[in-house]
Amino acid sequence: MVFLKINNLKVYYPIRGGFFRRVVDHVKAVDDISFELKQGETYGLVGESGCGKTTTGRSIIGLTKSTAGEIIFEDKDLTKLSRKDYHNYRRDIQMIFQDPYSSLNPRKRVLDIVAEPLRNFEKLTIAEERQKVQFYIEKVGLSPEDVYKYPHEFSGGQRQRIGIARALTLNPKLIIADEPVSALDVSVQAQVLNFMQDIQKEFNLTYLFISHDLGIIQHMCDRIGIMYRGQFVEEGAAEDIYTNPQHIYTKRLISAIPDINPKNRDKQVEFRKKVNEEYKNSYDKYFNAEGKVYKLKQISNTHSVALP
Amino acid sequence: MKAEIVQTNNNFNIKKSKSSGAFSVMWREILKDKLALASLFILGLLLITVYGATLFINQDKLVTVDLLSIYSPPSADHLLGTDYGGRDILGQLLIGAKNSFTIGFFITLIAGIIGLTVGITAGYFGGKVDNFMMRIVDFVMILPSLMLIIVFVTIAPKYNVYTFIFIMSIFLWTGKARLIRSKTLAERELDYVNASKTLGTPDWKIIIREVLPNLSSIIIVNLTLNLAGNIGIESGLTYLGFGLPETTPSLGTLVSYATNPDILQNKWWIWLPASFLILVMMLCINFIGQALRRAADARQRLG
Amino acid sequence: MLKFILRRILIMIPQLIILSVLIFALAKAMPGDALTGQLASSPKMDAQTLHELKQKLGMLDPPYVQYFRWLKGLLHGDMGMSIIHQTPVTQLLAGRMENTILLSAAVLILSYLIAIPLGIVSGRWTDSWADKMVVGYNYITFATPLFIFALLMLFIFGFVLGWFPTSGSVDIRVENGTFSYFMSKVNHLILPAFSGAIISTTVTIQYLRTEIIDTKIKDFVKTARAKGVSESNVYTRHILRNSFLPIAAFLGYDIVSLIGGSVFLESIYGYPGIGQLFITSIAQRDFSVVTALVMISGLATLVGTLLSDIILSAVDPRIRIE
Repeated sequence: MVFLKINNLKVYYPIRGGFFRRVVDHVKAVDDISFELKQGETYGLVGESGCGKTTTGRSIIGLTKSTAGEIIFEDKDLTKLSRKDYHNYRRDIQMIFQDPYSSLNPRKRVLDIVAEPLRNFEKLTIAEERQKVQFYIEKVGLSPEDVYKYPHEFSGGQRQRIGIARALTLNPKLIIADEPVSALDVSVQAQVLNFMQDIQKEFNLTYLFISHDLGIIQHMCDRIGIMYRGQFVEEGAAEDIYTNPQHIYTKRLISAIPDINPKNRDKQVEFRKKVNEEYKNSYDKYFNAEGKVYKLKQISNTHSVALP
Repeated sequence: MKAEIVQTNNNFNIKKSKSSGAFSVMWREILKDKLALASLFILGLLLITVYGATLFINQDKLVTVDLLSIYSPPSADHLLGTDYGGRDILGQLLIGAKNSFTIGFFITLIAGIIGLTVGITAGYFGGKVDNFMMRIVDFVMILPSLMLIIVFVTIAPKYNVYTFIFIMSIFLWTGKARLIRSKTLAERELDYVNASKTLGTPDWKIIIREVLPNLSSIIIVNLTLNLAGNIGIESGLTYLGFGLPETTPSLGTLVSYATNPDILQNKWWIWLPASFLILVMMLCINFIGQALRRAADARQRLG
Repeated sequence: MLKFILRRILIMIPQLIILSVLIFALAKAMPGDALTGQLASSPKMDAQTLHELKQKLGMLDPPYVQYFRWLKGLLHGDMGMSIIHQTPVTQLLAGRMENTILLSAAVLILSYLIAIPLGIVSGRWTDSWADKMVVGYNYITFATPLFIFALLMLFIFGFVLGWFPTSGSVDIRVENGTFSYFMSKVNHLILPAFSGAIISTTVTIQYLRTEIIDTKIKDFVKTARAKGVSESNVYTRHILRNSFLPIAAFLGYDIVSLIGGSVFLESIYGYPGIGQLFITSIAQRDFSVVTALVMISGLATLVGTLLSDIILSAVDPRIRIE
């Protein structure tokens, strides 16, 4: 069974212009991408801001309408389901949002926030509901009495964990994590990330992890897809990407990861120089006339790269 | 991480956290603002007096013409004198104030509901719905509303209080629709709305349960200020003779006696008290509204 | 920019059409028509001749035919006959319009003359006692209904103190064109204009105050100060220049409130303008005049908002609809 397979997904936004505001062109936020997720793994989507990684995540969960392509989840194409049928898949796919401040309604208690999905899908008594909410709140490391508090009484890291508890209540299979820690302090980031790994094992979750931070992706992901201008540049197992990057864009990203060890400083500088040199000299090899990348080509069992 | 969990034996004695809801913030702001507090007090006293006293006023006696005391100045019998029919001004004042306030209140409520519904729908759904609704709003906004209200009032068949409230409401919802739309547009972009969508909450529920509470303070402020404005417009129209029907006297009815220069100049007790009452009501409601506005805008709060 | 203006005018066309249909429908819904007036002068008309006359005048045509005929007349400046005055509406309006425009202009100018200094003082010296006074003034004028204020002004300055005339636009005893005629006009104008102006200062003061408060902490102002620009120059050259242009642009939107205001001001002060004409016409059921006045006011509002939108977009490119 296919767990999640994205086929030729496109998300275009019209640009209107001229006197009668006709559609003159499109912004191709996501331009024909395909990839697959296996159950239980963590798949990382990386790229600079505006490359379409968030849009990809949002169209999988249905927040953004895709222009074309298939999103196959457990052998069903989500893009072709009616609203009602789609509702049944809601509980299987959940999302963790980037901003822990705006993603929790400031007017609601934690109890009501975390219970919201339960109220949509399950008929529970008030006591059952509270028990269940408190169970998940404890799971994410907060105390059961916290459910009567309001979001503003928590720190950013705690709020993000409330968001995670909310996503967990429906026992989802897939969680789309859109930059889940980029709004948090660095000290709290590791805490939340480790915690995400813990619950992954416990609840058998699959993550689609969206981030611009290659360091975090390296820490979290089994497989990685690199996006640039709405297209895939390179895709492969984490090891392939980090030890054997093929595309110049990937190389540049990797060379930009800071190395904390001062002994490696010269090596790092050298590497950056080399990559920069290559970027200047062989730009044409990697990008076509429009500045876009080529189609993905498989170069090993686990590794594909966009080369002509 | 596990160490953070403080086990509580019993859920029942958990102290409920103090709410920082819109209402308590507003209440605190009013307590801080002496002027608003005084206004609230005066308005409350006024409304209690007006609604209380009208229960005991004999309306039939009030409308009976008493030829013996035409235009009598204030005296022990008639604290505020009488009008051209010898009718007691104080009684008319109380009933007028009650009618003006009640009708202003209902116009505000109905126009508020229309404006809120249109604004929040247009803002939440955006796109074509928004475009269509906002074209209508734009159109109503460019209408010369005062003149059209007067025309409608004149040609409406079976004209009564309800018709008047209806006509006023048709023209007075647009400003609110615009305001609520722009606030909803901003609110919609926040992730808690997206989160609710991904959690399977239907749109109508998101609008009512998620977005609406976050707009509540703005709505309350706006409704308060509109209430004052609408009482003003109502009494103004009645002053011109195109407001409430004669069977329902309002404060504007008393003021409208002043169109007669003789009354304006020599019989101040007929129109001046009503004018002052309108002024006091509008000032009080506005002062309260301004305090609420500061409460809604954290930057301006007094403390 | 030109594109924006063209598109903005394009948006106006459907509004104009709907407005005219609405007003035509209203005109049809109003009791009495062009014949009612003529009937009054020749009461011996029987049903047969009435029907023929109606046929001749096209009053039995389908509504849309009548609508287009009405529209054609309107475009030629023909707005029908006033039943009461037995004169063409256009002619009736001409003199009144002049008075209303004069009054409105006076209200506008006075309103800016009051509002701009107050707004600047209150924005520049925030939280001073002057600022507090201005804010208080603003609360009160915002809350006060125009008709109550105008009535009180008339009572105090017109009747009790007797400083100003209490009715009309000019003393009928003075001769047109003389200096005393002019002085009499001004004298009649002062009270209504001040009443209207004082009530309409709120928006301008509020706008100026917040704009100045917001601008004076911006970096470009700090830079100017750091470069040694004198405090008064900081205000005149840097802060006010940014704040003034939008105020000029609000002029068009003001037309909407001026029309409403003129109805109250003119009927309270017995000032013979279109506002007063509107009220008397509707009281006398002179509906062709009423229709014409509503149409003109609608047009004025449309053009006013159009002007404001265009000026605003010229001043502030951010709001241009591209």
